[in-house]
Amino acid sequence: MQKPIINGNRITIPSDQEYLADVDSFLDGQLRELTVGESIRADIAISVSELVNNAILHGNKSSPEKVVTVEISSEPGQVTIAVSDQGTGFTEEQIDDPVADENLLKEVGRGIFIVRALMDDVDISASERGTTISISKSF
Amino acid sequence: MKLSDREQDGVVILEPKGKIMGGPDASLLHDKLYEYIEHDKKQVIVDLSQVDWMNSTGLGILISGYTTLKNSGGELKLANVTDKIQSLLTITKLVTVFDAYDSIEDAIQSFR
Ligand SMILES: Nc1ncnc2c1ncn2[C@@H]1O[C@H](COP(=O)(O)OP(=O)(O)O)[C@@H](O)[C@H]1O
Ligand SMILES: [Mg+2]
Repeated sequence: MQKPIINGNRITIPSDQEYLADVDSFLDGQLRELTVGESIRADIAISVSELVNNAILHGNKSSPEKVVTVEISSEPGQVTIAVSDQGTGFTEEQIDDPVADENLLKEVGRGIFIVRALMDDVDISASERGTTISISKSF
Repeated sequence: MKLSDREQDGVVILEPKGKIMGGPDASLLHDKLYEYIEHDKKQVIVDLSQVDWMNSTGLGILISGYTTLKNSGGELKLANVTDKIQSLLTITKLVTVFDAYDSIEDAIQSFR
């Protein structure tokens, strides 16, 4: 797969950070259509960028054979975005607390923490065939 | 993201614009920052007024620059932090790390 593919409410990208901007503009268009306000749009965009980065780098390990899928769904007043990769899964228990004093100056390790702070709901479902993280936000 | 850079009164001012999400845009900021550090420019202000948002990749670059400069006797400071980024700094407790100023002038003054 060489290029992003958009199919309705879903975008699929190759495992390369070069395509983060494609996901972002697709997402922004969808959220505007749902009339999500600017501040919440930014919170969702930040969160999705974290999850897509993780899916590309940690999940798919930048493998050119693997893709990342972002799917947007909504009900009145709430939007849910699911980000899926084709990696081997993970458990959150292994993640250090990024706001502990000894971790404050670490350059990495605060992505999921930020997502949890910005979103109402975060659901992680991981298996040896990949990880899907769904986030929800009221607007 | 777009990036402009300049020097004023011996202080480096980096001015990213747009979104810092990771990949090519983040490399641009990282590389420019380290280009100045390699040229022994150790007083750096990152002007965030034009940044719509950043994620943990952007924060990681700021921390990296902050630490590298501090270890070599310099300093990285922030100016014009927007509400969106301020709340990110609060969530991550990085407010306790970075010196932030309401204007470029104030940030430059702080190096005097
Ligand atoms: N999709 C994923 N697949 C596999 N591991 C993941 C995934 N997302 C996150 N992780 C693991 O969780 C850790 C923490 O992620 P995060 O909070 O975003 O910090 P960072 O990406 O900076 O390491 C990662 O280092 C990785 O080990
Ligand atoms: Mg991450």
